[in-house]
Parts: sequence; C-alpha cells; structure tokens
Amino acid sequence: MLNILITVALTVLVCFIISTLLPGIERKYIHARIQQRIGPMVLSPGVMAPIKFCFKENIKPRASVPGLYKSLPIICFIVVLCILAALVPSSYIFPAFASIITIVGLLKIEEVCYVFMGALSKSIMSLAMPFPDVIKGGAHLDVERSYMEDLSAKRALRLISYGSFPMYLAIFAPVAASGSIFLGDIVAYQHIHGPFLFTLSGIIAAVVFFVGYMILLNDYPFAILKTKADVIEGPYMEYASKYRAFVFITRGFLMFTLGVLFSVLFIGVPPNIFSVGIIVNIVVALIFVILMGIFSAFSPIFTNRQFFPAVIGVSVLGVLAIALGLL
Amino acid sequence: MLDEKKPRETIETEIPLGTVHPAALEPYRVRLFVEDEIVQEAEITIGVNHRGIERIMEGLPVEKANALTEKVCGICSNAHIWNSVRTAELGLGIEIPERASYIRIIMGELERLHSHFLYLGHGCEVLAHETFSMRAFYLRESIMDLLFMIGGNRVQYGCSIIGGVRPRCELTDERIRTLREKLDAVEKGAADFADRVTSDTVFISRIEGVGVIPQKQALKLEVTGPTLRATGVPKDFRTIMPDYEPFDFNVITQQDGDVKANLMMRVLEIFESIKIIRQALDNLPKGPVVDRSWEMVDCDTVHSYIEVPRGTLYHSYALEDGRIRGSIIRTPSMSNIGAMQYACIGDHVTDAQLCIVQCDPCFTCTDRAVEIIRR
Repeated sequence: MLNILITVALTVLVCFIISTLLPGIERKYIHARIQQRIGPMVLSPGVMAPIKFCFKENIKPRASVPGLYKSLPIICFIVVLCILAALVPSSYIFPAFASIITIVGLLKIEEVCYVFMGALSKSIMSLAMPFPDVIKGGAHLDVERSYMEDLSAKRALRLISYGSFPMYLAIFAPVAASGSIFLGDIVAYQHIHGPFLFTLSGIIAAVVFFVGYMILLNDYPFAILKTKADVIEGPYMEYASKYRAFVFITRGFLMFTLGVLFSVLFIGVPPNIFSVGIIVNIVVALIFVILMGIFSAFSPIFTNRQFFPAVIGVSVLGVLAIALGLL
Repeated sequence: MLDEKKPRETIETEIPLGTVHPAALEPYRVRLFVEDEIVQEAEITIGVNHRGIERIMEGLPVEKANALTEKVCGICSNAHIWNSVRTAELGLGIEIPERASYIRIIMGELERLHSHFLYLGHGCEVLAHETFSMRAFYLRESIMDLLFMIGGNRVQYGCSIIGGVRPRCELTDERIRTLREKLDAVEKGAADFADRVTSDTVFISRIEGVGVIPQKQALKLEVTGPTLRATGVPKDFRTIMPDYEPFDFNVITQQDGDVKANLMMRVLEIFESIKIIRQALDNLPKGPVVDRSWEMVDCDTVHSYIEVPRGTLYHSYALEDGRIRGSIIRTPSMSNIGAMQYACIGDHVTDAQLCIVQCDPCFTCTDRAVEIIRR
C-alpha cells in the first residue's frame, strides 16, 4: 500500500511541476510568436505569478459566505489533483476511484465551483455607489441590478447544462468501445486492440475531446465565463493573494491533467513516474496546449449565438463517435 | 424589420458597466437593460473626464488657446489645433501659403490613418481576436513614426499655427522619401490585413449583423463621420472643404450599418487617405510654410467645420484684443452617442462594448460643460 501511495504521490508531484510550465509555453511560444511580440517569460504565468501572489496582501471579498468563497480555488485544485491521482495505474486497484464515473463527477464539481464563485462574490466594479448614481433623467430607476460575477455564474450554469457536453461525450467514446467504465479495463483493452485514437470513432472523439478541452479551460473562442468585453475575469475576479495563486496553478494543472486523461483514454498510456510512458503523457499535454494556443490566437470570442450551435454540432459528432465505438 | 428595433416596456435586469472597465479605453458608464443576456435598452453616461478646456480658453491669447485645443484629444490632437487655427484664420481673413495647406492635409490624413488603425486594433481587442489586434497596432506604429518624424512628437505635434505650419514640420526631400517608403509598406500591410479579416469566416460571423444602425435611424440621430457613411450616406465634409479641392478621392460608403460595415469603412478609408497623401507629396508646391504678415483684429464669432477621423468637428470663437471669447468645441462623438445606445439594442451583452466601439467613441474629448438654465 505504501508503494502505491509513493508512486501516486511522486507521479502527481512530477506532473504538477511540469504543468506549471504549460501556461507560459502557451503565452510565450504560441501567442507571442503568432502576434510577433516578445511575450512574458516562460516561468512567469505558471510559476512566478503564483509565487508573487502568495506574498501579496489579501483583500476581503464582499462574499455572502466568505469561508466557502475563499475555499473554492483550493477545492478546484484538490479536484484536479484527484483526477490525476485516479489516472495513475497504481490507483486502478481501486476500481470505484479509477473509473470514468469518478472523473466525470470530479469534473462536474469543478464546473459547479464556477457557479459558486460567481454567485458568492461581488467586486468593487459591481458595487452600487453609497448614493443614487443614476443621472437625472436616467431610464428605469427601479429595475433590479445584476452584476458581472452574477452574469458569469449564470454562464457557468450554461456550461454545466450543455457547454461541457463535448468533453463528456468524448470521454464516453472509449467506454463504448471497451465496454467498461473502469480505467484499468480501458487501458488493458487498448493494449490488446491498439490505441483507440487510431479508429474512426477515436479520431472523431479526439476532435470532440479537444473542443471540450478548450471549453473546460475557458480559452478563446469558448471563454464564455471570462469575456473581457463584459464580465472580465468572471468568477475569479475578486480572488487575490494566495487564492489567486491557486486559480493560476489550477488552470495549468488542469491543462496537464486533461492531456493525461486523453492519453489514458485514447492511447492507453497512463502516467507513471517509473515508466518511460510518462513522456507520452507530457508530449500529449504539450500538443494540446500548442493546438489550443494556435486556435485561441486566431479566434474571436464567441457569444451564445456562436457558442450554442458550435457545442451542439460538436456534441452530435460526439454521439456519432460513441455510436461507432459501440459497433 | 431593423427599423423596428425598439426597447421593450418591461425591463428585467440592469447590468451597469463602468465607469472603469478594461474593455473601454476611457472612463464612461453604460447601463444595459437586459433580458436573458440580450440588451433591450442601453444608456451611456459621460462626464467624468470634463476638464473645462473651453473655460480655460476664455480670455487667453489666441496662440495660447490654439495650443490648448491640441490637448482636447490624444488621438485627433492635430485636427483640433488645425480647426482652431482655421477658425482664427477665417476670422482674421488670412490666406495661408499653399505648401502649408498641403502639409496640413498630409498631417490630417496621417492622423486619420493612425486613428483608423487604432479603431481596428481596439475593435479586434474587444472581439478578443488578439492577433488581428496586434497586427493593426503594428501597422499603426509606422504611422506614429511618421507623425513623430514630422511633428517631433507622437501625440501632440503642434503642426498648425496661424498663417501656416511650424517650420519644423517642413517636408524635406529626406522626409518625403521616408514618407513614401513607409506608406508603401503600410498600404501593403493594410491590404494584407483586409484580406485576412474578410477571409476569416469565424471573425465575419462575429461582426456581421451585429450592432445594426439603419440609415433612417442614423439620419434621425444625426450620426456623423464614417459611422454615418457605413449606413450608406455619402456625406463627408472633406468634399466641400476648400483645402481638399486639389485632391481626387472617393467617399467610401457601406450599406449595412453593422460592425462589419463600420470596420470595412475604416479599412477602405485607409487606402483613400494614402491616396490623398501621395497626391499631396507628388504635387507639393514650393514656397514658404508660414506667412507671418497677418495683423490681429477683432472679429465676431466664427464657425469652422472640418472632417476628422470620427466625423465633423466644430470649433467657434470670437476675438477681442487678440483674446478668445465664447469658445465652443463640438466633437463628432457627441453626435454619435445616440447611435451607440441604439446599436446595442437586440444584441448580446458581450457585444455591447463592440456596438459602442463600432461608432469609434472618443468620450474624453466629448466631455463639455453644459449650462442648465432653470426656467
């Protein structure tokens, strides 16, 4: 049991360290190169910024449940950590933990956290003035006032209700092919029949997975939670100091973890520090980051008018991938 | 029917944005009245940037006051000093040397170029298309270099003075050669930018049919400048300005009045401005750049209009003992605020800033003192 714990802990630790480089790679080597500018240092977004935030003074959010509000980034981090731990082969001896259902459940917790973050906070940009701040002759003086974080929380509900469909459909495509929800079985199936990625169903599901990856990471063009033109940073807007550091770290960690999830489900290579297979995990995570960087650099942000049909279209592809996997 | 874009009577929620917001270049407040994230009505409030320039100008010697007008705007600073100087010249009956008039036109068109590139960059930034935004700002840098070369500064060039232009803004052969070279590169870059924008279907899907201002509504709201021309009205004050008589250029118009039409308006006007500058360089008359032989006399209120990157700019004042009396400045954004509010209706909250930006607002220069007379 101790060996299992050490293997899982070491694998997660190494993956975590590598994940801190991914946001920097995306911004320095993809966005900045495409946009012909110097860009930040590679270590800046994923390492130096979180360290800097850890030493900053915290601000008290105007949250209705401050304790819960402050703990949400930490919960998100733990959720991602658990997903990665479930993907390590040593965890496969606990089938209930290392299963697709657990991973989907954990990802849903992550999404629900966005709703709470948005609903519980109210930044200075959303506060009403201590005096009537509507000019003389202003329209609709008695109307209910919403605020940016609230708007973001509503968008997080959209994300939960249909926005993240592509990711879950893509996750269930290998399940349909292998006939099991347990990660150990899915990996074993691919060792016998070859990587799921090299089937027609696998190719379609990989495309769907990538779109779902961008939606879950809130990157352009699917960043409905963090639209700079209205809600700015959305649910994260009021996080400062170490809580903001957790937000930064979690994003990089989720980038890496979803890449690893892909390599487990589609290539059959789980992350293990004592195996050369971990290089595949790192390469896959890097490819995803590079592709996401290219797509986001060349895309405008979607509103619901583009987001909804895009999600529905990709979800239909996901259903097709599952149907082909069942055949 | 687009003409029936009217606000609903029942308003569900208000979303206030600003006065400080990252998507807005300047502080202003927008109250968006929404239903399911669709804007039903919008209200823009300005006034936080009021600096009282007209009041400060009151009683100042006309030369000093002219220099002050340049501070009205950080984007079209040259247009303000040009129009203010032009007001004095109209009042005093001064004929400026032809070479000076040509240099003013060149500066004015260079300013239009940098303003339009700024518009494109800011518009793409609001759309979150950072690559297009960076490309537009990259192209703008060449124009800023040219303005720096001629005026000695990137923002306040101080080019126009009563009687002509400052001698330091003289166009030497070396400067003319640099102007030609950089304009060739900018033209090529702008054509490439236009190709990329129009061939990007995802980008077009985000701007087509968004923020529509029908022609009838634009005329009713007294919209001015490229925003009006984007609705199909070929109204450009340059066509009736005597300064522009020697130049051959087209008045660009678009028909749809949406974000795409506005964006294409600016892109196409860039080529027309380059055309005007080339004509000015080809036919630049010889002679002095300033005539200082004018005499100060008193004059009644004089009105002067010129076409600046955002529309028609108005300056007026009277002269008494060489000092300014009753100065009034009206910037084009003042006329366009109604259109900005109207454009937001029926579109998504995320598009609200885009609908405002499509009218190329410059609220800082628009903030003027308002005298309320109680009866």
